[in-house]
Amino acid sequence: MTDRRRLLGMAVPFIAVVGSMIAGLLLIALSGKDVPDAIEAFMDGAFGSAFAIGASINRAVALSLVGLGFILAFRANLTNVGGEGQIAVGGIAATALGLWPPIAGLPLGLAVIIPLLGGILAGAFWGGIAGFMKVRFGTNEVISTLLLGFVALLSVYWCVQSTALLRQPQTSSATLPESLPIADAAKLPSLTGNSESPLHIGLVICLLLAIATAIVLQRSTFGLRLRAIGLNELAARRAGMPGGILLVAALAMAGAFGGLAGAIMLQGEQYYLKAGFSSGYGFDGLVVGLLSRGSTVGVLAGALFFGFLRSGGISMEIMAQVPAALTLVIQGLIVIAVAGSVILVEKLQGGR
Amino acid sequence: MSQPTGSLLSLKNLGKRFGSLQALEGVSLDVRAGTVQCLLGENGAGKSTLCNLIFGVYEPSAGDMAFDGAAWAPESPAVALEKGIAMVHQHFSLVPRMTVVENLMLGQVRGVLKRHEFGARIRDIAESFGFSLDPDAVVGELSVGERQRAEIVKCLMRDPKLLVLDEPTAVLPPGEIGALLDICRRVADSGRAVILVTHKLAEIAKVADRVVVLRTGRLVADESMAEADMGALVHAMVGRELRPLDVALAETDEDVETPEAARGFALVCDGLTVHDRHGAVRLDNFTLEIRPGEIVGLAGVEGNGQSELGMVLAGLLRPTEGHFYIGGSDLTHAGAAAVTAAGGGIVPEDRHAVACVTGMSVAENVFLNKLERFTRFGLLQRGAMNAAAQKQMKEFDVRATGPEVAFSGLSGGNQQKAVLARELTLDPLVALVAAQPTRGLDVSAVEAVYRQIRAAARRGVGVLLISSELDELLAVADRVAVLYRGRLVGERPAEMSERGAIGALMSGQIVSGQVA
Repeated sequence: MTDRRRLLGMAVPFIAVVGSMIAGLLLIALSGKDVPDAIEAFMDGAFGSAFAIGASINRAVALSLVGLGFILAFRANLTNVGGEGQIAVGGIAATALGLWPPIAGLPLGLAVIIPLLGGILAGAFWGGIAGFMKVRFGTNEVISTLLLGFVALLSVYWCVQSTALLRQPQTSSATLPESLPIADAAKLPSLTGNSESPLHIGLVICLLLAIATAIVLQRSTFGLRLRAIGLNELAARRAGMPGGILLVAALAMAGAFGGLAGAIMLQGEQYYLKAGFSSGYGFDGLVVGLLSRGSTVGVLAGALFFGFLRSGGISMEIMAQVPAALTLVIQGLIVIAVAGSVILVEKLQGGR
Repeated sequence: MSQPTGSLLSLKNLGKRFGSLQALEGVSLDVRAGTVQCLLGENGAGKSTLCNLIFGVYEPSAGDMAFDGAAWAPESPAVALEKGIAMVHQHFSLVPRMTVVENLMLGQVRGVLKRHEFGARIRDIAESFGFSLDPDAVVGELSVGERQRAEIVKCLMRDPKLLVLDEPTAVLPPGEIGALLDICRRVADSGRAVILVTHKLAEIAKVADRVVVLRTGRLVADESMAEADMGALVHAMVGRELRPLDVALAETDEDVETPEAARGFALVCDGLTVHDRHGAVRLDNFTLEIRPGEIVGLAGVEGNGQSELGMVLAGLLRPTEGHFYIGGSDLTHAGAAAVTAAGGGIVPEDRHAVACVTGMSVAENVFLNKLERFTRFGLLQRGAMNAAAQKQMKEFDVRATGPEVAFSGLSGGNQQKAVLARELTLDPLVALVAAQPTRGLDVSAVEAVYRQIRAAARRGVGVLLISSELDELLAVADRVAVLYRGRLVGERPAEMSERGAIGALMSGQIVSGQVA
């Protein structure tokens, strides 16, 4: 019986994903593009080379981090939709620190670590603001994290538009509104030592944090307290738990994960800050967190899936001229199918 | 009375198993139209399970049901309702912000909403059963009794042949119980059948035609009310004779040795005043001193400031003015954790909202305020915690299949015993504030709660027992203070002869010793 249930639990989402992919291919065919071409471009972009695989995994790392932060806060019944903004402030902080000459000269990898920590702190602060507003004024965190996200995104624009902030010196009218690249010493070390693959140490950081998150959620007293406050805040307070501090901490932690994702994206691959730097990873990470249903492994699996999907989608757009919007539509279909299948499985299993 | 003789609902060898728990076994019974059938049993005896089987919430694992001359196997409550069985649940399903008529139209009316017509129908139905209900009243502003009547009308609108009421009196103040029982009688007299689930013996005598008793999932008595003997019913229900409360609980009065040496009071309230958000005074200059080993009852009709007092003493509400002290330390602004640390055990009146996290396990709830005891390097030692919980569950007679089962799966009595286990095992324990600690509990759980409170007092704990049930206070407390409109209006010894005087204080007829 339980075997059948487990099988059902795996089969239904799988069928849902395959089904929505087939629907996606149909859409591509309907839009008049060559389907085999598109498939080839997708496979090529996602798995086709060491570079493609490395890039996909790097994407998955950013998504995982946002997703892990999401499930942490969600344990306290807080929905953090501000991943995008937390990535942005993390990126700003990492850029600023990575460009600061004294830091580039530090030994023992501190040149890498300090910008990462800066990103974490910036993200934690950003998430913490929403937590503080929730505890102090009762502001719904969905609203505050979302709106703070816009503030952060526009702050990136501001930073890269103003030479007083992070914009590179304007030497001509053609100087782009971007920062200078960060110092080499601040870049994340490669994981493979192979210049072909962009895979960087962020993967290791991410896996370690995933393990830590799993331990916090399942084994730690802090995790239990988060759960208590999420299930019944009043009872948790009665039992002496510091409700306000826990709520702020939960959102600050979610923000810290987002900020770290931003710093890793910047120090690992992009190297300089530009407008639109976070490009939707915060929202995709939110979806990964939601679909994982609180499971760390679920976050990693979902992030990998979305990471490869994103790489393949970009490649489809470039190589097979499949519009980017169509990739997003397919992604949306998959999200709906997976979410729907989760509900379906629950109904089938939970039935009498 | 029109009493058709055939049985409307008949159950044969009905059984229900949840995992390893046999919730019901071999239950056979008949319910006739035109009668009120009382279903009696302790918490966890299987009453709710039985109702849920009849109402199509669960599917039986054994046995057959027949209703209205045909086999009965409703696949859902909606089908049951459609075919003539309606159920009033313990927890109401009304939207507080909407009016009665809007609530009752939900799910029943499609398309154009004919509010007036519907409202008139509500009024008619209510009147035909001898009560009144204002269809335009906002549900959130109604009393619990009125809300319940709205639920009953909601059921009656579907013209059911059988009306099931799951513990309808548990939530009602004493004055409204009689009215509810009248309604049950009238519904039965209209030719329908009524199943009334309860664990209060006094009620069944007033209204039942027949009474069945469940104990640990089995039917242990099925008698016509005319022939039933109350003592035998109690015996059937709890499986042993119960001594009358007063005798059982008054016996220890002499043993209570108040340590005169303890100059300090266990609990002192000094001029506590609470204003609500709108500036209205909810608690007015409340002053009370409780010595170690003393049980002080706080009487009063609900809504006279008891909830606010309870929240203040729990460390969850800051008073506008005044202070309170437990064991001599001022905890007025210290918060819940400090109250616990100072030895203040709190049994909140709202079990589900304040006392426990129903979505967590029994062990987690029993140690909710002592988690650090099982924490090493930030990690929770679940094995040790569960073992310790098992021990406490045994000591406090919390019946559950294990420390890791969900708290929500426990019956109300066992939940309350678990809360007591948590609060009475504080070290040190100086004072205990128990608010409505026996509400919704069955007789033997009530007895257990009283026993624990008494035992705590004997160990030198000062107890404040807040209750709206005067009999409870008279049986357990040493003296009874009375709260009326947020003010302490008087204090009496806890003796039966003072019943009238305390009642008068509660109703506000006497204020500050004078006849108002």
